[in-house]
Amino acid sequence: MRETAAPALSARQPGAVHSALSVLEAVAHLGAGVSAQRISAELGLPRATTYRLVNLLVEDEYLVRTPDLAGFALGAKVAQLAAVASPPVRLSSAARSVVDDARRVLRGGVHVALYVDRRIVVVDSDPDFPLSDEARLAREPERFALGRLLLVEDPAATGEVIEAARADLARWGATRQSGEITATTGCLALPIRDGAGVLAGALAFSGARHRVDEPDGVLAQLRPAADALAPLMV
Amino acid sequence: MTALSRAIARPDPVAGFGHRSPLHGLGRRRIGIVDLAAQSVAAVAPAAAATTVVLLVAGVAPGITVPAIVAAAVLSLCVARTVGEFARRFAAAGGLYTYTARGLGTRAGLAAGAAILTGYAAVAMFALLGGGYYATYLLAGIWPALDRPLVTAGAVIVEAALVAFVLVRGIRVSARAALVVESLSVALIVVLLCVLLVSIGPVDVAAVIGARTAGGLDPVALAAGAVIALTAFVGFESATTLGVESISPLRNVPRAITGTVVLSAALYVLAAVTQVAGFDALGGDLAASASPVNDLAAAYGLGGWGVVADIGIAASFLACAIGTTTALVRVLFAMSRDGVLPASLGRAHRRFGTPAAAVGAALPVIAGVPLVLVGAGVPVRDAMHVTLSVGAAGYIVSYVLVCVAAPVFLRRIRELTPVSAVIAGLSACALAAALVAFFVDDAAAGGTAGVVVMVLAVTAAVLIGVLRRRHGLEAIGRYDEPVAAQVLGGVPSPRRHDDA
Repeated sequence: MRETAAPALSARQPGAVHSALSVLEAVAHLGAGVSAQRISAELGLPRATTYRLVNLLVEDEYLVRTPDLAGFALGAKVAQLAAVASPPVRLSSAARSVVDDARRVLRGGVHVALYVDRRIVVVDSDPDFPLSDEARLAREPERFALGRLLLVEDPAATGEVIEAARADLARWGATRQSGEITATTGCLALPIRDGAGVLAGALAFSGARHRVDEPDGVLAQLRPAADALAPLMV
Repeated sequence: MTALSRAIARPDPVAGFGHRSPLHGLGRRRIGIVDLAAQSVAAVAPAAAATTVVLLVAGVAPGITVPAIVAAAVLSLCVARTVGEFARRFAAAGGLYTYTARGLGTRAGLAAGAAILTGYAAVAMFALLGGGYYATYLLAGIWPALDRPLVTAGAVIVEAALVAFVLVRGIRVSARAALVVESLSVALIVVLLCVLLVSIGPVDVAAVIGARTAGGLDPVALAAGAVIALTAFVGFESATTLGVESISPLRNVPRAITGTVVLSAALYVLAAVTQVAGFDALGGDLAASASPVNDLAAAYGLGGWGVVADIGIAASFLACAIGTTTALVRVLFAMSRDGVLPASLGRAHRRFGTPAAAVGAALPVIAGVPLVLVGAGVPVRDAMHVTLSVGAAGYIVSYVLVCVAAPVFLRRIRELTPVSAVIAGLSACALAAALVAFFVDDAAAGGTAGVVVMVLAVTAAVLIGVLRRRHGLEAIGRYDEPVAAQVLGGVPSPRRHDDA
């Protein structure tokens, strides 16, 4: 069963959103380990309101409690808030020419993504074959080849989908998604690694499902492009 | 948003978080709120309780049965809110044991652990016996010549095997099994009660709320009735033991336990109104009936429904056995991870992520005691009465401790509010009074439950003393701490928890 992650927001309480952001700001300002009472004093909010807000933020993992349960630290999830504000990353013209060549020969969607703080940042989506649903990619990464590639790098990630993706990566050097979002299409994601071998981004292909089920043809053209991109991007 | 953007762009390293949770091994973040609620509802077994508790309450609080049940529901809601104060702040497999340990320290934590283990184990035994009793009762209807104790013993063994299977196979399987079985039995009972209520016709409101009782409201009878009704709610807190395995536990666990109390209360009030109004309309004495729902069904020409209700009750008992054993083994698991019990009990099943070692240790005891009782020739109803009374005492003791622990805990983390303190304090006092009333009532009725509880309490006290000396327990009450990866700039401290 999946839970909807977003809590119910009431339009009549815009102040609550503001207060929640202020609480996050206060924790960032005061540093990890700050208590709810200290936050309440810093912001001049009533205590009961502060306790309710911090507990809501902990439920959503924007805040985490320190092991003694009395203090708070920012959760890794707040990094997602930055995605909205961060300036778009752009490819260098050398990298762009590699991607354009790949798009010309492959006749399908070719996309470039970077992995920043365990988030997927789509740097260059194919204008002729755009990504199906970028918001969903951020929300449910395990349903996309791009997301699976990110998840298999995490040793703690388990589950059938992840195991299958690990097998794909071992066999093809790429993760796959075939017919799971729309029945007739699929996608492939090839890792782009930095000099130390750390996963930095991915070159992805989306297109007809049979080309993903039998990926040799696509991979033969995509792999040299990924290899050529790596030194130009990271 | 300067400080926040700076923190996101260049997070300061935050130390003190582990690489993995102290409760690693359990299948984390797997079950949603419906399964979570199913766990609590199954442990309460409202279908079985709805048909039995009204009669018991009517016995001590004639005329004010419905108000007594409402009073018990309000008290249970207050306890649920207090337990929720912990559940909103951290996820633990130890439930009330871990909560009390976090508030009042080692000794009280172990006492709450012993009490809640007694509660879960005794109620699991009660549920196995109850399932066996109803299975025998139903089989005897088809085949009157069978050897009843033998069939009951056989049913207990089959049930225990079933419980062991779903518990090891995975929390999803056991939660779903409990959900299906309990919804079925609740639906059966609700349909039967509604059909009865419609047959009875217009309800005399004054009779139901006790306004016609001679001499006005008797507070002592109301309290005595509420204490008995309270035992029909115990178990609602058991979803707390699935905190580690639940999705968004800090949000869902408090909702599940409050929802369980509300749902059970609605069912009990419906059952009480139906039975009180039914006997009022018939001019009969509810307290004198042996089986009010069956009597009413017969009186209103629904005789065949009695069997349906019995199937529902038998199913409810099985769900109750699954639910309470699920909670029990997680408390054992948590105690093992705390170093209180042998480390071998804290082993999780590699594939299914369930506390399999604890299941293996607990089930022989839970199935063994009912088998010995039945084998020794103790009538099943008497065995059920003793196990239920002992179990209820265990639950109430642990509730008292957790209600005392809550304000202390909230004060320590500097998040105590006056409302929380008042609710926890009143709950603790009311529960303590209920406990005393419970023992006085049991002693007056010549029950053996008081003796059993006394023996268990002395044993637990000795064990707690020994354990404290042997381990010098510094910090019990481990919970599912956030791991470094969940913290912005979190740096794992590799030595944390690797002893677990």
